[in-house]
Amino acid sequence: MAGNSLMPRLVVRALSVRSQRIVMVLFALIVGAAVTCALVAVYFDVSVKMSRELKTYGANFYVGPGQGATLPDEAYQTVFDGIPADMLEGGSPYLYGTARSELEKIVVAGVRFSSLRKLVPYWRTEGAWIGVDFDDRNALIGKTLAGRLGLKLNDTLVLIKNNEKRPFNIKGIIDSGDNSDHMLFVQFEFAQNWLEKPGLMSHALFNLINRHDGVDRLAETLSADHPDWSVRPIRRISAGEGGVLLKIEGLMGLISLVILSLSLVCVNASLAALITERRGEFALQKALGASNRAVVCQVLAETLIIALLASMVGVVIGYVLAQILGQSIFSAAVDLRAPVIPVTVALTVSVALIAAVLPLRRIAKIEPAVTLRGE
Amino acid sequence: MTMPGYAIETRRLTKQFGRVLALNEVDLAIKTGEFAALMGASGSGKTTLMNILSCLDSPSSGDILLEGTAVGELDEEGRRLFRSRRIGLVFQQFHLIPYLNALENVMLAQYYHSVVDEPSARKALDDVGLSHRFDHLPGQLSGGEQQRVCIARALVNRPGLIFADEPTGNLDEQNEERVLDILRALHRDGRTIVMVTHNPALGAAAERIIRLNHGRIES
Ligand SMILES: Nc1ncnc2c1ncn2[C@@H]1O[C@H](COP(=O)(O)OP(=O)(O)O)[C@@H](O)[C@H]1O
Ligand SMILES: [Mg+2]
Repeated sequence: MAGNSLMPRLVVRALSVRSQRIVMVLFALIVGAAVTCALVAVYFDVSVKMSRELKTYGANFYVGPGQGATLPDEAYQTVFDGIPADMLEGGSPYLYGTARSELEKIVVAGVRFSSLRKLVPYWRTEGAWIGVDFDDRNALIGKTLAGRLGLKLNDTLVLIKNNEKRPFNIKGIIDSGDNSDHMLFVQFEFAQNWLEKPGLMSHALFNLINRHDGVDRLAETLSADHPDWSVRPIRRISAGEGGVLLKIEGLMGLISLVILSLSLVCVNASLAALITERRGEFALQKALGASNRAVVCQVLAETLIIALLASMVGVVIGYVLAQILGQSIFSAAVDLRAPVIPVTVALTVSVALIAAVLPLRRIAKIEPAVTLRGE
Repeated sequence: MTMPGYAIETRRLTKQFGRVLALNEVDLAIKTGEFAALMGASGSGKTTLMNILSCLDSPSSGDILLEGTAVGELDEEGRRLFRSRRIGLVFQQFHLIPYLNALENVMLAQYYHSVVDEPSARKALDDVGLSHRFDHLPGQLSGGEQQRVCIARALVNRPGLIFADEPTGNLDEQNEERVLDILRALHRDGRTIVMVTHNPALGAAAERIIRLNHGRIES
């Protein structure tokens, strides 16, 4: 137990006294940390995902059935052929249906793999995309479905129909932020066969380069030629909606700023009071030969420990708060992405340190001769 | 100008607080190993003198030599180092750190002096009769015991100079006697001791009484 340095003991003992002031500091920092953590978590998860979706160019042209759930897949080829080559970035027919896996019934989507990246560039894929359209051995799976079925990369998922079994290698797990997360993506023709919808598709999506309103004009022409189709440009989340998201982000930043400022003011006041209350203690230490720096370091260490403790508690509370926010604003669960914890800790510690600057300067002004004087 | 054999010498030592002349040209010489009592009415400047002698404060003018060092010329940093190395302080209000136990309070003086040495801190407490109170917090100790912890803390670095400002001011007679015994033992051990007291009986226990009156030495 003999240590050459008494400092750690001094710091720990001082904190364990758990004065009301320390509780106040802790509380203020926890509130700041929790709110910041929640908003940062929402920002990095939901908001970044959504704005990326907004900003990334993906599918912007839709061709589907006017009535019913399907239309002939020739429609895809017709549209495809009718689009000038310099306008077409990519396109794919889509066919949806339910199929049985070994475990449960799942939603299957047939697509042209080679074009997928052009249509949903904002998907995050763990593993790899599938490069060729004729690949009917590999599949992509949405992360929610993968999670539910307990599938990892390169696991095998078996589809079952009557006596037939068809294994798929999971080549990629996708995080789309939409209901694609619940689906299995397989080769288009295979889907037609397996779902017993030969020659049919649910709809087609295209990514078109839009010059001089070319997309709108194409839509008009196609609608006129094929009144039984539903043809429409996909209005990408409009500038207005994008603006709303920016505003929400701005608002979250502002709320964080306000809460952190309040927490800073509160910590500052509590530390100032704490140092005033303990000035006798500090005067004594200085009388015994402590330098101002030594005393400042001690209080700084105490503050740092409180800040780290507050960060930890704040992250836990903030995580819960993030789920509430995510559900109520974006209807989505919020994952704690990698930067959230370091950002929260850094902000909380910074607030504590900034709040401590002025109170700590009082330590240098404590004069043992005056403070310790009896009477 | 140091005469060998003097632990403390002052020349025309003056301290002014605004318009209050707390010390007025004090000339003082205390021999090494002497046990001096500083007496005087309240407000006569005893604490001010003690603060300057113990390097907690600096004089407005005049010279002061402590064991040959002109501490009046030291800056705050220099006084701090001199204090931690050469001076032991005993306070009327003890000034123990409330969340450190007796042993840790003593070790604190070692910490700011050089390095913590637990056995010698135990020994210092043992010397003041507190070997059974190492782990007690100040709040769990009686006033007399707290004062003895304070004395142990003043002793632990074995300073040559010990300044005690009304060390028994907050103690009952029994504890007063005990503290006095400890100071006497330190005196026999060769330390130079200056003690402020109101109590003539205590003053009589010292080798010599210095009287202050309105910031001046009387006798
Ligand atoms: N920091 C100070 N500021 C102003 N006046 C002071 C200060 N310290 C002491 N004094 C004054 O100096 C005089 C001597 O005080 P002090 O040394 O405390 O006397 P004693 O200890 O003998 O009671 C008193 O008049 C007191 O009011
Ligand atoms: Mg006094």
